[in-house]
Amino acid sequence: MADVAEQLDTAVEIVTPENIAFRYALAGPFSRLRAYGIDLAIRLGAAIGLAIGAAATFGVIGLGGFGVGVTLAGWFVLAFFYGGVFEAYWNGQTPGKRLVGIRVLTIDGRPINGVQAVLRNILRMADMLPFLFAEVGLLGLYQVGLWTMISNGRFQRLGDLVCGTMVVVEERAAIAAVARFTAPQVLEIAAAIPPNYLPGRSLARALMAYVERRGQFSPQRRNELAQHLAEPLRGVLQLSADVPPDVLLCAAYQRWFGERVENQAASHAA
Amino acid sequence: MELTKILAAKRPLWQELDRLCAALANPIRRRSLPAETIIRFSSLYRAACADLALADAYHFPPETVRYLHQLVGRAHNQLYRAKSFDVRAWFVELFVVLPRRLAADRILWLAFALFFGVFLLSAFGGFVNPDFAREVVGADHLTGIESSFSDAPRGRDFTIDVGMAGFYVFNNATIGLRCFVFGLFWGVGGLYETMFNAIVLGAVFGHMAASENAKNFFEFVAGHSAFELTAVVLSAAAGMRLGFSLVFTQGYSRTDSLRLAGRLAMPMVGLAVLLFVGAAMIEAFVSPADVSPLLKASVGAGTAVMLAAYLILPRWLGDDAGERT
Repeated sequence: MADVAEQLDTAVEIVTPENIAFRYALAGPFSRLRAYGIDLAIRLGAAIGLAIGAAATFGVIGLGGFGVGVTLAGWFVLAFFYGGVFEAYWNGQTPGKRLVGIRVLTIDGRPINGVQAVLRNILRMADMLPFLFAEVGLLGLYQVGLWTMISNGRFQRLGDLVCGTMVVVEERAAIAAVARFTAPQVLEIAAAIPPNYLPGRSLARALMAYVERRGQFSPQRRNELAQHLAEPLRGVLQLSADVPPDVLLCAAYQRWFGERVENQAASHAA
Repeated sequence: MELTKILAAKRPLWQELDRLCAALANPIRRRSLPAETIIRFSSLYRAACADLALADAYHFPPETVRYLHQLVGRAHNQLYRAKSFDVRAWFVELFVVLPRRLAADRILWLAFALFFGVFLLSAFGGFVNPDFAREVVGADHLTGIESSFSDAPRGRDFTIDVGMAGFYVFNNATIGLRCFVFGLFWGVGGLYETMFNAIVLGAVFGHMAASENAKNFFEFVAGHSAFELTAVVLSAAAGMRLGFSLVFTQGYSRTDSLRLAGRLAMPMVGLAVLLFVGAAMIEAFVSPADVSPLLKASVGAGTAVMLAAYLILPRWLGDDAGERT
C-alpha cells in the first residue's frame, strides 16, 4: 500500500552526504508558470525602467546615443542572463521562484553551479516555442517545454534535461503540536488496557495517523472512522462494548505512546 | 515507548533549525549571524537527519515525518549552497581547456565547412547575378544596404557609435544564441539557422562585391568579420553538438548523452558571446571611423591571427591539460 502511494506521488528521493534519504515534492508546470509570470513582470519593468532611465540620464547631458547603447545592451543581458545570474547567486532561485517557494537543484539534489544556471536559462528559448509573434520572438507559448515536462519523471523542461537540473517545492510547513489526552475517560480506559499487548508496526502507524487528523472531523465522523480499527481492538484488549470507538483509539494511543507519568497518575485516580 | 515525550523533546530543536533556515535564506541576515550560530545550525541539521533516519523506528506520526522531510530538505539547501561563478575556473576553461578541445572538434569543423561552403556558393550567386541577392534578401532591404555604402565610412558622432555598439551586441549575439539553442532539435534547427545566415550574408557579400561601392563595403566589414563569422560558426557548432548528441549517444542514454554534450557546449557558447561583443565593439567604433582602410584591414587581420593563435598555440605549448575534458 505504502509503495503504491509513493510511486504515484510527484516526489523525488535524495540521499544526502549524511546518508539520509529525504523526499522533495517536484514543482509542476503551474507553480513554475506563476514564478515565470512574476519574473517576466520584473524583467519587463526593469527593461522599461532602464530605457526611460537611460534616455533621461543621457538625454539631459546631450548624449542620446549612450542611452540607446546602454538600453540595448541591458535588454540583451536581461533577456538571456536574468535567470542565470539570479539562480547562481541566490542558490537556485529567482525573485519569482522565491515568492512561489520553489528552487532549482541538480537531479541528485545538490545545488546548481553557475554554468547550469546560465545554460538552462539560455535554452529557455527552445522551451518557449512556438512564439505567438515568431517574427520578433515575442510571447512564447511554452508548448515544447510543457510537453517535455509531462513526458519525463521529474517535470524537466529541455533546459533542465540538458543541465541535469530539476525544480522542487521548498515549503515551510508548521509542525503539529504533540497530541496529549487529559480527558478522565480516556485516561481511565488507557489504564485498563492490559500491559502485555504491544502494537505492531502497521497498527502503530494507523493509530498515529488517526490521532493526528481526528481534529479535522466532527465527533460523529470520528466515531465512524475509528470504528474500523476499534472493533477488532475491542476484542483483543477485552474492553467493554460501550466505550465509544474514538475514545478507545485515543486511549490506546495514550497507553502505548503517551508519557507514563500521566498514565500512573491516571491509574492512581482510577 | 513514550513517543509524546520524545516528540516534545525534539520539537524545540526542529523549530530552532527551522528558524535558522529562514535566517540563512535571507542574504542580509546571513552575514550578521555569528559563527557559533552557524556551527549550531550544522549540528542541528545532523540531529534532524538522524531523527529522520530513525523516524520509522520511533513510529513518528506521518505528518511529523513529512515535516521532517521538508525541514531536512531546506536545511540541506542552506548547507550545500550554489557555487556561483568561479572566475578562475572559467579562465582555465576558456583559455586552457577549450582551445585544445576545439581544434580537435569535428563538429566545429563541420559547422565551419558548412557555413563557409554555403557562404561562398551564395556569394558566387550574388556576384554573377544581381537578381539572386534581390530574391534572397528582398529588394527593399538590398536597396537599403546599397545606399548605406554609397559613401566611404568617414566617421560619425561618437554617441551614435555607442548606440550602435549596444545594438550590435543585442542583435548579433541574439542571432548567435538562436543558432545555438535551435541546434538542440536534433541539430536540424541549428543547420537551418546556420545555412540561413550563410546564404543571406553570402548573397549580400557577393552582391556588394560586384557593385561599384565594393571598396566602401569591404572597408567597413574588414575589421570585424573575423570575430563575427567565427562566433556564428562557434554557436552553430555548440548547438549541433547538443542536437547530434541526441542521435549519436555513444552508448549513453539519450538524456545522459545530452547532459554531457551540454557541459561541453557551454564554454563554446561563452566564447561565442565574448567574440560577438568584441565584434560589436570593432563594428561600432573602428569600422565606421575616419581612419585609413589599411588600419581597418590590419585590425581584421590581427583578430584573425589572434583566433588562429588561440586555437593552435595551446597545442604547440603542449601539456596534457586538454586530456582533462
